[in-house]
Amino acid sequence: MKATTFVMILVVVFSSLAFAQSALAYLDPASGSMILQLLLGGIAGVLVVLKLYWRRVKTLFLGLIGHKAKAD
Amino acid sequence: MDQIQAIPGSFRDPSGRVYEVDGQIFRTVTGRHAAHFEHVESTGLFQQLAQERFLLPVERASKGVLGSVEEDIRYVLQVPKLPFVAFPYEWPFSALKAAALLHLKIHLAALDKGVTLSDASAYNIQFYGGRPVFIDHLSFRKYQDGEMWAGHRQFSEQFLNPLLLRAFFGVSHNAWYRGTQEGISASEFRQLLKWRHYLSWNVLKHVVMQAMFQRAAFDARVKLEKVELPAAPLPLTSFRHMLNGLHSWVSTLEPAETGKTLWQDYATTHSYAADEERLKRQFIDNFVQETRPKLLWDLGCNTGDYAKVALASGAEYVVGFDSDQGALDSCFERASRENLAFQALFMNMANPSPDQGWMERERSGLRGRAFADSVLALALVHHLRITNNIPFGQVLDWILNLAPRGIIEFVPKSDPMVMRLLNLREDIYSDYTLDFFVSHVAGEAEIIKTAVVSKSGRHLLWFQRR
Repeated sequence: MKATTFVMILVVVFSSLAFAQSALAYLDPASGSMILQLLLGGIAGVLVVLKLYWRRVKTLFLGLIGHKAKAD
Repeated sequence: MDQIQAIPGSFRDPSGRVYEVDGQIFRTVTGRHAAHFEHVESTGLFQQLAQERFLLPVERASKGVLGSVEEDIRYVLQVPKLPFVAFPYEWPFSALKAAALLHLKIHLAALDKGVTLSDASAYNIQFYGGRPVFIDHLSFRKYQDGEMWAGHRQFSEQFLNPLLLRAFFGVSHNAWYRGTQEGISASEFRQLLKWRHYLSWNVLKHVVMQAMFQRAAFDARVKLEKVELPAAPLPLTSFRHMLNGLHSWVSTLEPAETGKTLWQDYATTHSYAADEERLKRQFIDNFVQETRPKLLWDLGCNTGDYAKVALASGAEYVVGFDSDQGALDSCFERASRENLAFQALFMNMANPSPDQGWMERERSGLRGRAFADSVLALALVHHLRITNNIPFGQVLDWILNLAPRGIIEFVPKSDPMVMRLLNLREDIYSDYTLDFFVSHVAGEAEIIKTAVVSKSGRHLLWFQRR
C-alpha cells in the first residue's frame, strides 16, 4: 500500500501545523479511530483523509509557490 | 419478593444487567440483544472460550430467580461469582498487560466464528489470581462483513495508552486511571510523546493518527457524516491484522527501566533474621489453619511471601494490596507462574479506592466491594502512623473494622526500620507504643494470641472482633 504510506507521511508532516483548540464535546469520540480504520481498510479511506486535509495541503503548496491561499 | 436491584456498575449496557441474589450472580439478556445472543450461543464460542478458561462459563437460569424487575428480559444467565472484583486502576502493569492480550485473543477467536466484540472495556476483565478472565457475555455480537472495530478507541484508552505510559516513561497508570476511570485518551497521551516515539509505526497509527484524525474530523469543513462510506470499510483481513499487530506490540511492552523499586528486593534485604522469619510464618500458619479464611486481605503484601504462606495453610483466596509497582509486578508473575489464588493490587493504604463514577456508585470503594473474613497487617502500622501521620487509634480501628479477625504486627520504635523512618523527623508519635497498641486492640476485640517475633521487639497480635 504505497499510496497509504504516502498519505501517512503527509499526515505526519501536517500534524505539526498547530490546530486550533476547540471544544470536542459534540464530536463522536470515536471518529478519530473511525478515520484511521477507513485508512487501514483501503483506498476509500485514503480519499476521506485527503478530503479532510485538502485545505491544509492546498494552503501549504500555494504558500510554497508564493501564492496567497484564498480565504474560503 | 422485594424488587431486586441491578449491580450499580451495570447500568450502561441496554443489552442486559447484572444482578446479585443470595450471593449468586445473574446476567439478563434483553429483547434488544436476544438475536445477537442466540447467534453467538449457536456458534459454540461461549463453550470454546470457557473451556480455554478465557471466559466465565455461563448457564441458563429460570427468569423466576429475579422476581419482577423492570426490564424486557429474554434470558437469564447464571455465571460463577468471582472471589474478588478489582478495577484496572488497581491492577499492576503486568495484570493490565495480561488483560489486554486476553482481550485481543478473545476478539480474534470470536472473528473466526463470525462474532465480534461491541466494546473494549477493561472492566470486562477480572482475575482469578494471576489469570485474567473475560466476564461480559453481552459484549459479543454477530459480525457484519467489513464492519469496523467499534472498540478500537476504547482499547487504546483503557489498555494501550496506560501500558505505554509505563513502558515509555516509567510512570504507572494507576493514579491517572483512577481519576478518569476510562483510561487515557489518545489526544492527552500524544502530548507526552517525544520525537523518538514518532519513529514507531504503531505509535503513529494508534496514538498520533488517532488523535490527529479526531481533531481533524472536528475542524474539517467536510463533515464526516456527509462522507459516503464504503459498504465494507474494514475488510476482515485488515481487522485481523490490526488485532494481531496490537497483540504482538503489547506482548513486547515492559516497564521502562527506572531502577529497582524500594520493596521489590525487600524479601531478600529486609532486616529480620531467618529464625525470626520462621516465627512469623508459624504464627500466620497457625492463624490460617484455625480460622480457614475464604477471603483474606493482606495489607502491604510486598512480594507476596506471607500471602503464599496463608494459601499453603489453607486460605482460599488472598488479595494483597501494596503501592510499590515493582513488588506488585513480582506478585503478579508469581501468581501466574505458580497458579496461586493470589491477586495483588495497587493501593496506598492511606488512600484506599473510593466509591466513584456515576452517582458515586458505579465503582465501589474497597470496603463496599467485598467482605474479607480475615486481614493481615504485617509491618504496616508504623508506615500509617509515622509516614502518614494518622493517629494510632484510627489506624488500629480501621484495620479492626476491615475484617472480623486478623493479625496485626507492631514494629517498635527501637526496630531499625522504624528508626530509619524517625531519623529525619521529630518524634511526635507519643501514642506509638506497645502498651497503647495492646490496650487499644483489647478495647475493641478479643486478643487470641500474641508473639514476639524479633530481637528488636516486633509483636504479632491475633485478634477476633467481639
